[in-house]
Amino acid sequence: QEAAAPASAQAPAPVVEPVDNAATLLADRILLTGSDQLIAEGAVEVYYRSNRLSATRLTYDRKTDTLSIEGPIKLIEPGQTGSVILAEQAELSRDLQDGILIGARMVMARELQLAAAKIERRDGRYTELDHVTASSCVVCITDPVPLWEIRAKKITHDAETRQLLFEGAQFRAMGVPLAYLPHLRMPDPTVERMSGFLRPEVRTTSSLGTGIKLPYFLALGPSRDLTLTPYVSTSRTRTLEGRYRQAFDAGALEIAGAFSRDDIRPGETRGYLFADGSFALADEFKLGLQIRTTSDDSYLLNYDVTDEDRLWSGVTLERVRAEELIWARIGNTHSIREGESNSTEPMLAGDARWVRVIRPAGLGGEATVEASLSSARRASDATTDGADFDTISDGRDRTRLTLKTDWRRNYLLSGGIIAATEAALAFDAVHVNQDPAYGSTMTRALPSAGLELRWPWVQTSGRAAHVIEPVAQIVWSRGSLKPFPDEDSWLTEFDEGNLFSMTRFPGEDARERGLRANLGLSWTRHDASGWSLGVTAGRVVRAEDLGQFSAGSGLSGELSDWLLATHLTTEAGLILSNRMLFDSGFDISRGELRMGYGAARGTVAAGYLWMEANAAEGRAVATSELLFESDWRLAEGWSGSFDARYDFTANRATKAALGLQYATECLAVDLSLSRRFTSSSSVKPETGIGLSVELIGFGASAANNVARRSCGG
Amino acid sequence: QQVAFAGLRADTAAAVEVSADSLTVNQADGTAVFTGNVVISQGDMRLKAATVEVEYGADRTRIARLHASGGVMLASATEAAEAREAVYEVTSGQLVMTGDVLMTQGENVMSGQKLAVDLKTGTGQMDGRVRTILQPGAN
Amino acid sequence: CGFTPAYGPAGGGRVLLGGVAPDAPESRDDFALVRRLSERLGPVETPRFRLAYKVSTDVLGQAITPENATTRYSLTGLVDYTLHDGGSDAVLLTGRVTSFTSWSATGSTVATQAAEDDAHERLMRMLADQIVTRLLAQAGSLPQ
Repeated sequence: QEAAAPASAQAPAPVVEPVDNAATLLADRILLTGSDQLIAEGAVEVYYRSNRLSATRLTYDRKTDTLSIEGPIKLIEPGQTGSVILAEQAELSRDLQDGILIGARMVMARELQLAAAKIERRDGRYTELDHVTASSCVVCITDPVPLWEIRAKKITHDAETRQLLFEGAQFRAMGVPLAYLPHLRMPDPTVERMSGFLRPEVRTTSSLGTGIKLPYFLALGPSRDLTLTPYVSTSRTRTLEGRYRQAFDAGALEIAGAFSRDDIRPGETRGYLFADGSFALADEFKLGLQIRTTSDDSYLLNYDVTDEDRLWSGVTLERVRAEELIWARIGNTHSIREGESNSTEPMLAGDARWVRVIRPAGLGGEATVEASLSSARRASDATTDGADFDTISDGRDRTRLTLKTDWRRNYLLSGGIIAATEAALAFDAVHVNQDPAYGSTMTRALPSAGLELRWPWVQTSGRAAHVIEPVAQIVWSRGSLKPFPDEDSWLTEFDEGNLFSMTRFPGEDARERGLRANLGLSWTRHDASGWSLGVTAGRVVRAEDLGQFSAGSGLSGELSDWLLATHLTTEAGLILSNRMLFDSGFDISRGELRMGYGAARGTVAAGYLWMEANAAEGRAVATSELLFESDWRLAEGWSGSFDARYDFTANRATKAALGLQYATECLAVDLSLSRRFTSSSSVKPETGIGLSVELIGFGASAANNVARRSCGG
Repeated sequence: QQVAFAGLRADTAAAVEVSADSLTVNQADGTAVFTGNVVISQGDMRLKAATVEVEYGADRTRIARLHASGGVMLASATEAAEAREAVYEVTSGQLVMTGDVLMTQGENVMSGQKLAVDLKTGTGQMDGRVRTILQPGAN
Repeated sequence: CGFTPAYGPAGGGRVLLGGVAPDAPESRDDFALVRRLSERLGPVETPRFRLAYKVSTDVLGQAITPENATTRYSLTGLVDYTLHDGGSDAVLLTGRVTSFTSWSATGSTVATQAAEDDAHERLMRMLADQIVTRLLAQAGSLPQ
């Protein structure tokens, strides 16, 4: 039985635009019988509203308005979702919509093949197939047994609901009958959204044993749906996962959650509830909503929900225009991280920023005026520092208001030097409670001024364009500034992004003071063929060390660490980036290497991170981690993925995962193997194995790397 | 009631009259050639053509065969047909039209390369990538 | 050796100063990118060019401690840009710049959140600087 390859498109005769309900007939010969019958013979073709039928002989009876057709018959419905029907003989209505086809084979949406003794089409909507075999696998004369098939006494296809109703169905794999189902309802291949069971998944983990997940998708209209997934594992867990999605005219909401009773915490009802919403408000404002709650510290890892260990719930508001930015965020964080307290650390926090860009008349250049409010609150009301890892009063709360302006103007000097003068003024007012180390309300101001000189040189002869740009920036700020309680400026970074900025503290609680020179040189080579290499070196020289930055940050001392950053990108898809901070003795305090490679065959993302220990930043031991993530098209239909992370400081792997997917035109198998080595007081290391099998041909499938098997291949 | 699928029909026994701008007769083989707006009528059938070559029967009195060319138009009570050429065997009632044949019968239109029809019974056959529109039945 | 000051008479960079009008920003990242472009090329005086851009970023958790705490995040950024002629809007230059930066998550949640916001701003400054450098390298081919 020859595989029903999609119909090869002969060049159809130029069809005159048919009258809407008229059918066009073409043939080599038409016999005029002088009766109500018209007989057409030889390469007969009938066109009806872009349905096309071809046959060898056809008789049209005008009285009964039917066509009796002799094969081999091919009926092709239009478009990618239309079906192709092959038959030996048929009795059809003139519009080809109703009637009976004998010895027929139907290919639905170029994917699902149905071979039946008889196919009957009724009311232009129902197609009934008797004694039918359904499969989307390629069937060849050489190996006639398909990978899987469903044999049924009868299959009814409803074109309007796009469903296939199987009666007396028998599921066979490799010819072996596996299951008998009196009634089975499946979506036809054109369906993207329909209520019904989704792909089952078998999941084996060391903490929950072997279990099965069987998701059921409930489409509640075009803009809402609910997916319920029972997850049952032999006496280890009974879990119901749910996901609700709703699309609004101006926004979207997704709520995910689960309830479990398992033997990790017997007798407890555990679970989590996450919600994410984003809505467009009037006047270009955007509202964001997020909820992250869980019943206990280990649930999210036990059920592989997320690695997040700081669960923020709150609201954000944002409006961005060319001349103005308005942004606000208020929310509470619940930490499930080992050794982090939800009462002695600032978990309830609110921030708001309003930035306006103006062009001061007379002064020239451009200035920004900014007002920002930041409030951080610790649940504890203690006024002394307890046993937590910081030395801050356990109950300290602070609310800080900042008004600042920053003006900058460029001047083009002779010889191509571009100078920029910059001036900034920042007022801060803070209200502190439960921390005797600070006054309850304090204010301060800090003026700053800067001059930046850039002298870029270009060379564009030959294949490549070179740019060499020396930059020198002198910045003065008053050396003394009343210290405020510092909640947001602990974690400083030093890279090309803030080598030439007026302050290198991430927040507003601390500001960079004193006289300093930021010196840098960058060289970029941009090749005509598309690859480019950029190297930037820089250093900060201070008139006096005011001890503003922590030792390991690379910014401490009169001479900062050297900053050296290299970026290489090739047109073949390779990205190589490296950034290092090292002192004059080449002792590297921070080093990050990132490698990314993307090509048709596969993608690789690898990286190495080195960071010196830095108690001030809460990093007790040095960080030394290797990261490797890759996915590959191994062969046609086969794709694999391998991810790993190795912690050199703890001298063991943190995580490793292996994935294998095999997809043919009728079957998709997904195997995943993962091992998490980390453990804490609430979570043990875990191995997980996942297997899922999907029959392609029912509902639109998204498999991309598919092995198009063909006969005699 | 709409006449069923049929070719052309005519009273093949009726007398055949011919009118034309000019006539040339060939005594040797008994043929005559009418040229210029030739109109041949038999009963209620009309045949127009640029030139018609007529062959007479043995007794030289009845027309045995007509060969019309240069664009032929033929019309009867219910049907009409046109083609480049036509051969009408009057004695047998067989009509063969060739070359871009277009036959209309009420709403039914049929086009092809060769139409052979028995005018007595109206049955026949159209050949050569025939095309027609299947109108909904008149019921 | 063929080098000439980019903003010098033979460099071609002068045409960029005050002449590049970036498209209106739609996100905080866009806003930071446009601010830096305006700092480097000066606010628009005569819009000789229009700069269209598409920013995309990706976050990757790093430095996972034995207790499974993610203590560092790296932020990779990518901007695809096209420089259009201010009048005819014809495409003059296209390009893609990429870079990355990071922030630590070892401090308190407030300190980590501030570090994350600052990382986005630093990354956008780097990408803007790379775009300016790329434009300077090809400024010679622009209509003066």
